[in-house]
Amino acid sequence: MDIRKEILELTRKYYKEKFGGYAYDPQKDLVHYAGRVFDERELVNLIDSSLDFFLTANRYAEEFENNFAEYLGLSNAILVNSGSSANLVALSSLTSKKLGERRLKPGDEVITVAAGFPTTVAPIIQNQLVPVFIDVNLGDYTYISERLAESISPKTRAIFMAHTLGNPFDLDSALQLANTHDLWLIEDNCDALGSRYNDKLTGTFGHLATSSFYPAHHITMGEGGCVVTNDDEIAMIARSFRDWGRDCYCSGGESNTCGKRFSQQFGTLPKGYDHKYVYSHIGYNLKVTDMQAAIGCAQLEKLNGFIERRKENFAQLWDLLSPFQDRLILPKATKNSDPAWFAFPITVRNDAGFSRNQITQFLESNRIETRNLFSGNLLRHPAFEGINCRVVGDLLNTDVIMNNTFFIGVYPGIKIDQIEKIADVFTRFMGGERG
Amino acid sequence: MPNPQKIPCVVGKVCSHGHQVYTVELIPTRPIPRFYSGQFLHLALDVYDPSSFWPESRVFSIESSPSERDRLKITYSVIGKFTTRMESELTPGKQVWVKMPYGNFFIDSKSPVVLIAGGTGITAFASFLENCKESSENKILVFYGAKERSLLLYRDFLNESKKNKNMQTYYFIENDEKYLEDEIPGQLSVEEIFKRIEAPSLQKYYLSGPPLMLKYLTNGLQEKGISLESINIDAWG
Repeated sequence: MDIRKEILELTRKYYKEKFGGYAYDPQKDLVHYAGRVFDERELVNLIDSSLDFFLTANRYAEEFENNFAEYLGLSNAILVNSGSSANLVALSSLTSKKLGERRLKPGDEVITVAAGFPTTVAPIIQNQLVPVFIDVNLGDYTYISERLAESISPKTRAIFMAHTLGNPFDLDSALQLANTHDLWLIEDNCDALGSRYNDKLTGTFGHLATSSFYPAHHITMGEGGCVVTNDDEIAMIARSFRDWGRDCYCSGGESNTCGKRFSQQFGTLPKGYDHKYVYSHIGYNLKVTDMQAAIGCAQLEKLNGFIERRKENFAQLWDLLSPFQDRLILPKATKNSDPAWFAFPITVRNDAGFSRNQITQFLESNRIETRNLFSGNLLRHPAFEGINCRVVGDLLNTDVIMNNTFFIGVYPGIKIDQIEKIADVFTRFMGGERG
Repeated sequence: MPNPQKIPCVVGKVCSHGHQVYTVELIPTRPIPRFYSGQFLHLALDVYDPSSFWPESRVFSIESSPSERDRLKITYSVIGKFTTRMESELTPGKQVWVKMPYGNFFIDSKSPVVLIAGGTGITAFASFLENCKESSENKILVFYGAKERSLLLYRDFLNESKKNKNMQTYYFIENDEKYLEDEIPGQLSVEEIFKRIEAPSLQKYYLSGPPLMLKYLTNGLQEKGISLESINIDAWG
């Protein structure tokens, strides 16, 4: 064990030598839109976990799941290997036969939006359900509340959408509609960890919610994600979908935790068929490794600090860019919400005198990273052409987002000198500088 | 089921009931996760290194109430190598590891239930019964059997539950000569149980106890036309 201590001490030294002392150089460095923010603790956990050489989910995964569930005040956190996998597991779980008549069946409709990331919508299609698209507001980029009620049909069974770029959607309306029509509500909380609505954390309103721990997100484990729920039955189903679809819920390296491994009857299998190899769902293998979870444990301890930094950066950017509101639509928080912003979305007004691509090219050429609001209008992408779906009214704002919207970063790695750099570049562009 | 957790515990009180049957109180070093009445834990006697595999363990029904986050209670009888080790090693102050919660032997309190327990199998119902001591929405019939009267560990506890007018308990005792009013001679049997149930086909049955008892009673219930969907078994194997 002395060797282990020595290795971990050397890891701390290595961190300082390799990553410590970084100073932003405005002449050379990019202002990233997002990125991992870490110190020696993440590196030490990673090495510590690798020295266990357990490899698959173990003590760090257990620690992360427990602490993450506790952070959200929920009873179940199910680690998976990405936010997209979390969405897939969450929605697939609601198709389980174990839910009886409550389960989602092929042809059932799920209300969502097209202005977002594809893997919120992809699981709907993959499960042979029918996405119903409604338009969103410019400025807060969440669904138009009035459209939600209009979207209901006799086939509607669920609402599944994201808190766009950290900004909570109108949860009051969504919950009211879900309760009235007995709908499932799934929050794609991948971009909104730490956001609040009516003083309550997003990700805790729906039957299920998802998180992403890709490096761009509020905390990271490289690749990683999580499904959370307070419903213990759904949690068991979600674990099954994550773990090959098996009925057995033993963790890796464990056997017979149920005590009934060889004594149960399933389907038409022989009585006592090894429970480890009994499958109750058409599942996947979407598990994380313990190394990923180890990084996540160190990150989770910093989450509150990260959230505050995001909010500060957002507020500073808003103040510095507010003089340009005649040409830019700046972001606004949904009513009753306190977002932990993923990014700072901006829409170029139609009469601005310049295009979205002109300003983003100028920003990029001045080493400020930009991104479009993900897919813009998902329905205009090749993969989604001709899908079985329903559109309620029009998606005019969604098209505006596709053409005119972009975002810049607010992540905790951005410091005041980078904020000032961003403001300076915007000012130069608005003053007429091009090229 | 909430995320199972591995928790170090310290042995508190150990109570011997005679006939090598013991009740053990475990004090967790941190609050235990939420669990349901009828769920169970794994107990390991050897030191657990969290970076490695879980050591040999055995499962025990959690007897303490789900509302208690700082105490666990289990009961066991010495029947094999592991429980023999427990008998000699579980003394106050010893550190052990538990992982919990597990199991889906949940009792549906929204409908009338028939609980049938043999020996220490009663522990699977303990947590549920604790919550129904004063009252319950629906009728609860408890059929509790043991070889000897002294092994009816939960008799005092069940007697306290008489305040609950919706609960009725019958005791089956195999080896004795004189029987009290609420006692039935012999082993638990479907014939005797059915004499005391109104509309047996409308009940939900929950069985906990030794494997042979479970097999015998399950077959008996099925022969009487009770479907497997209405029979819930806390089976180990």
